[in-house]
Amino acid sequence: MSIVPKETIEVIAQSIGINSLSTDVALALAPDVEYRVREIMQEAIKCMHHSKRTILTTEDVDSALNLRNVEPIYGFVSKDPMRFKRAAGHKDLFYVDDKDLEFKDVIEAPLPRAPLDTAVVVHWLAIEGVQPAIPENPPFEVLTAPSDSKKSEFKEDGLPVDIKLPVKHVLSRELQLYFEKIIELTTRKPESPLFKEALMSLATDSGLHPLVPYFTYFIAEEVSRNLNNFNLLIALMRVVWSLLQNPHIHVEPYLHQMMPSVITCLVAKRLGNRLSDNHWELRNFSANLVATICRRFGHVYHNLQPRVTKTLLHAFLDPTKALPQHYGAIQGLTALGPNVVRLLILPNLQTYMQLLEPEMQLEKQKNELKRQEAWRVYAALLFAAGQCIYNQLKKFPSLLLPSTKTVLKSKKKVVTTIANKRKASTDNFAHQPPLKKLAADGATGVVPINSMQVDTQGVAHPLRGENIIGGGSRREKIDGPVQKASVLAQAWKEDLDFGHLLASLSDIFGQGMFSFIPAPELSLFL
Amino acid sequence: MDEEEIERAVIAYLKKKGFKQTELAFQEEHQQQQQQSKNNSSNSQTDPEVAKLILSFSSESENLPAQYHDGYNKLRSWTYTSLDLYKHELLRVLYPVFVHCFMDLVAKGHLQEARTFFHTFREDHETLHLRDLQKLEGVLSPSHLEEMEFAHSFRQSKVNIKICQYSYELLLQYLHNTQSITMLGVINEHIDFQVSPGQPSSISDEAEAVTLVGSGQDAANLINQREIHWGILEDAIDDRFEKSGGVLSDSDKADRESKEGETEEAKKWSAEGGKQGASVKKLKKDKAGSAGKIGRPEINASSGVPRVKSELPLPVMPTEIEHSILEDLRNRVQLSSVALPSVSFYTFINTHNSLNCASISHEGSLVAGGFSDSSLKVWDMAKLGQQVSNFDMQSENDAATNEHMLVANGGKRPYTLFQGHSGPVYSASFSPLGDFILSSSSDSTVRLWSTKLNANLVCYKGHNYPVWDVQFSPFGHYFASCSHDRTARIWSMDRIQPLRIMAGHLSDVDCVQWHVNCNYVATGSSDRTVRLWDIQSGECVRIFIGHRSMILSLAMSPDGRYMASGDEDGTIMMWDLATGRCVTPLVGHTSCIWSLTFSGEGSLLASGSADCTVKLWDVNASTKLTRTDESKVGNSGRLRSLKALPTKSTPVYSLRFSRRNLLFAAGVLSKSI
Repeated sequence: MSIVPKETIEVIAQSIGINSLSTDVALALAPDVEYRVREIMQEAIKCMHHSKRTILTTEDVDSALNLRNVEPIYGFVSKDPMRFKRAAGHKDLFYVDDKDLEFKDVIEAPLPRAPLDTAVVVHWLAIEGVQPAIPENPPFEVLTAPSDSKKSEFKEDGLPVDIKLPVKHVLSRELQLYFEKIIELTTRKPESPLFKEALMSLATDSGLHPLVPYFTYFIAEEVSRNLNNFNLLIALMRVVWSLLQNPHIHVEPYLHQMMPSVITCLVAKRLGNRLSDNHWELRNFSANLVATICRRFGHVYHNLQPRVTKTLLHAFLDPTKALPQHYGAIQGLTALGPNVVRLLILPNLQTYMQLLEPEMQLEKQKNELKRQEAWRVYAALLFAAGQCIYNQLKKFPSLLLPSTKTVLKSKKKVVTTIANKRKASTDNFAHQPPLKKLAADGATGVVPINSMQVDTQGVAHPLRGENIIGGGSRREKIDGPVQKASVLAQAWKEDLDFGHLLASLSDIFGQGMFSFIPAPELSLFL
Repeated sequence: MDEEEIERAVIAYLKKKGFKQTELAFQEEHQQQQQQSKNNSSNSQTDPEVAKLILSFSSESENLPAQYHDGYNKLRSWTYTSLDLYKHELLRVLYPVFVHCFMDLVAKGHLQEARTFFHTFREDHETLHLRDLQKLEGVLSPSHLEEMEFAHSFRQSKVNIKICQYSYELLLQYLHNTQSITMLGVINEHIDFQVSPGQPSSISDEAEAVTLVGSGQDAANLINQREIHWGILEDAIDDRFEKSGGVLSDSDKADRESKEGETEEAKKWSAEGGKQGASVKKLKKDKAGSAGKIGRPEINASSGVPRVKSELPLPVMPTEIEHSILEDLRNRVQLSSVALPSVSFYTFINTHNSLNCASISHEGSLVAGGFSDSSLKVWDMAKLGQQVSNFDMQSENDAATNEHMLVANGGKRPYTLFQGHSGPVYSASFSPLGDFILSSSSDSTVRLWSTKLNANLVCYKGHNYPVWDVQFSPFGHYFASCSHDRTARIWSMDRIQPLRIMAGHLSDVDCVQWHVNCNYVATGSSDRTVRLWDIQSGECVRIFIGHRSMILSLAMSPDGRYMASGDEDGTIMMWDLATGRCVTPLVGHTSCIWSLTFSGEGSLLASGSADCTVKLWDVNASTKLTRTDESKVGNSGRLRSLKALPTKSTPVYSLRFSRRNLLFAAGVLSKSI
C-alpha cells in the first residue's frame, strides 16, 4: 500500500543490525517512512525556492533534514544538480552515476584549475524598452524568425545554437522541370532569346522560393568550375541579378553562398580564355551586383558591406595582383558609392598612380595588352574619383553659390596672372594643414603639391591656370564660411579636405577631371 | 413489515454508538406506539423516504469504503454528464468531496481502500491541484492527518464554493434521488455553498471560487472588513516633492505650513528634538525656491491619494541627503505604456550555484549577493571599472583600519566580503540610504552590516528557524523579517529584541514587504495567502486569498493603493488593499516569480522570473479599467503585459527601480538551463 515496500524496511533494518524484524512492524513502518520522506522533500523544495533555484540539489535535502533536526546525509554534497541515469530495462528507475576512481590516478592527476571567483558584470538589458543587439542579450531575431545565415553568424559568436534535424525537402515535379530547364538554358544557350524570357521569369515568378537553395548551389558550383567560360559566367551573373530582382523570394539566407561567386566574377585573375572575351563588362556587371546586394541587405546584415569592402580593398592594395583584378576591385568600390571611394580609394590614389603610370606609358610597358589594361584601370580610377567629386559638389551647392559669386567677381577684377599669384599664395597658406595631415597619414612619397601648384601657376598654362582658379575658388569657399562663421565646422572640414582633394586629383588626372564637374560649376571655372 | 426492519436498524445503530439512554427511550416509545396502533387500527405509516434513508444508512456502515468509492464514482459520472452550462460549477464540488472522502477513509482506518480510492480518481484533479495531491499522497495513517498542516486546515474549515441557484438545486436533487447519504454527509459537513441567484459564474473565477483557508473564508471576510489607511505618508519626501512640484496657491501654502507644524511636533516627540526644527525650516525655504523652478505639471495619479500620519516615530533624514533625493525625484523619467524604462542588468558569473539572493541598493551603485557558503558579498558598481588600478592604494589606506577590508583587499577581490553567518544567506536588504545592509540566514539570525565600516554591527536573534526574508522599511531604521517558524517580526535597528511578532500564517512565511506608509507590513506564505498586518497593533488586517502555490515575492505600489504578489507557478496577482480583492491576475510567466517592483510613480510593474525574463506590465490601464466597471473584474481587467525582456539563460533574482526610474535587475548566469 505504501510505495515503500516492506522488503525495503527489512533491508534497512538488517543494515542497522536488527535481524529479526517482524512483518507487522515492517508493514507499519513502511507508510510512515513514505510520509517522512515526503515531508522532507516538501521542506527541501522550500529551501530550493529560497535559494532561488528550480532544480533540487542534495544541499536542499540536507537543509531540510536540518530543519527537522535530523543529521544530514554526508558525502553527497555537490554544487551542481545530480546527473541521473536511467537503469537499463526499467522505465522509471534512475540512479546517480558514481564511477570508481583509481586512487593513484587521482593523486597523479595535475591539479585542476582553480575555479574563477564570483564576479558581477553589467550590461544593458533594454534601453527605453528596446533590447540592444549585444552579445549579452539573447539573440532576439533567432527566436522570432530563425534563418540559416543568422544561425551561422551566431555560431561564430560562440553562442549555443540548437541545430535542427535535416528536414526532408520535397520539390514538386513542376519545379524540378523548371529548374532543369533553366539550368539547361543557362549552360547551353545563354544567347538565345529564350534565355531572356527565362531571366524574366526568374525575376517575376512568385513560386520559386523552394528553388533558391538549388540555384545558389548551382551558381556557386558552376562559377568555381568554369572560370574560363566567359559566356557561362555572364549568364550566371544574369541569373543572380534576376533572382535578386524577384520580390517574392527571400535570398537573404543564401547570400553567404552567393557572395563569393559574385566577388569571384569581380576580382578573379582571369575570366574567360579568349582575348575577345570582354571580361571588363562582366566585372562591371558584377560590381553593380555587389553594390545592389549591399544596398538591399546591408541593413539586415550590418557586417555585409564592411566584409565586401575589406575584400575589395585588399585586392586593390595588393601590388602583386594583376591589373584586371585591380580594375574589378576599383569598380566594386566605386559601385558601393562615393563615400567608399572618398574614404578608401582617394587616400591611396597617389601611391597607386605611381605604380600605374609606368604601365601606361608606351616606353615603359611594351606589352600592348598590359598597357591597355593599365589604361582601363586608369579610366576606372578616373571615373571613381570623378564620381566622388561630382557628388561632393552636389552635396554643398549652398556653399558653392556665394563663394562662386565672389570668385566670379574676383575673376572679373583680376584677369592677370598677378592676381593669380596672389591667390596662389593664399592658397598655399590655406593648404598647409591638410597637407601635413596627409603626410602624417603615411602615404609614402607624397608629391609636394604645394610647390607643384606654385610651379604650375608659374607656367600659367591656360587650362592649368583655370584649374587653379577652380582650386582657388574652393579655397575662397572655405574662407567665406569662416568669415561668416555660419556654417557647421564639420562641413567646413570636409570642404577643406575636398578642396585639397580636387586639386590633387586634377594634378593626377589633369583635364580628365572636368567632365565630372557639373556643368554650371564647370562653366564657372572656365 | 418495513417498520420492524427500521426499528431493528435504529436499535442496532444506537447500540453500536452506545446511546443506552436513547435506546431505552426509543424502546419505550416504540412500545407505546405499538399499543396505540393496536388501539388505533389506522397505522401511522412512517414516511417511506425516511425509512429508505434509515435503512441505507444502516447498511452502509457495514461496507464503508465501498460506499465512499461508489458514492463518489456516481457523483463524478453524474457531474460529467450534467448540463454544460452548470458543469464547471458542479465540477468544483468534486475536489473537496474527493479530498474529504479520502481523509474520511484514512481517518477510519481503511488505509488500503483509501489508497485505491485516491489513485482511481486523482487524475481528475491533477491539473488544478497537483501540489495538494502530492502532499495528500503521503498521508498514510490517521496520525499523519493530524500532523500535516494542509490536511489539518482542510479538516477544520469548510470549503467555500460559489454556485448558482440552479446548480445547487440540481446537486441536491441528485443526492436525494440516489440516496447517496455518504456524499450528502461529506458535502453537508465540509462544504459551504454560497448560492447566488442568476446565471452560473464564469469559469475564470475558479481560483476564487474554491479556497481553502485555515480560519475559513468567513473569518477572512471578517478580517477584511477592518478599516485600513492605505494612503501615502504625510510629509514623506515624495509627498513634499509633489507639493513643491505643483503650483501652490497661498491657501495651500498655509495649509501646508500647518501640516508641517504638526509633523514637526511629531518629529520632536519622536526622537531627539532640538536641532531638526531648524533643518525643517531650512527645507521649507529650499522648497519654496524649488517650487518656482520646477513648475511642471504633475500628472501623477497619486495626487488624489489620501495622506496618512505615521504611527511609528520615524528617523530624520540628513538635509543634504534629502536634497539629493529631491534632485533625483526632479530628474525622474516619467514612465508609461509608451515610455518604457531602461534596464541595467547585473549578471553574477561563476557562482557555482551558490548564490541564494541578490539585492540592489536604491541608487543601484551597490549590489549584494547572499551565498550558500554563509557569506555576503557586496560589489560597488561605481568602482567596478577602476578597481584594478586603485587596488593597492586602497588596501594600504583601509587595511589597517578594518580587518574585513583586509580580508577583502588582501585577496585582491573586487568585492567586500562579509562573513559572520553560519548558514546559507537567504536574503539581503539595503537601507534606503545604502549605508547599512541586513542579511538573513538559515542560522535563524538577522545581521546588520555597515557598508561604510565594512563590519558586522548587530546580530538579531529571535527567530527559531531559518529566516527567509528581511526587508528594511522605506524610511530605514525599522525592518521586518519572516521565517520558517511561521511568524513575521518587526525590529528596530537599536534593539536586539523584536518589537512585534506577527503570528497567524499556517505555514512558512516566505516573503515580507513594507507598505509605503510604514504602518503596515505584508507577508506572503506557503499557505498560499498574503496577509497584511498592522504594525502598531500587530494584528492581521487583511487576508488575500487566491494564489495556488507558495508566494515568493511582494511589491507595494508607491501610492499605497495596490499590492502585487507573485507565486511559484508564475502567476502575479494585483490586489486592492482597501477591499482585499484581487484586481486582476497577471498571467504570462511560466516559472517562479522571484521579484516584483513598481516604478517610481507607480505606472509600471516589473516582474523577474526563473523563466529568464523581465516582464513589464501596465498598471494604469488595468486599474482604471477596473475602477470604471468593477463588475467585470477578472474577465476584462487583465493587466496588459507591455514587454517581455528575455535574458540569456539568466533567471532574474532581483529588481529595483532607482529614484530616477532606471530599472536595475540582477541574476545569475546559469548554464544548465
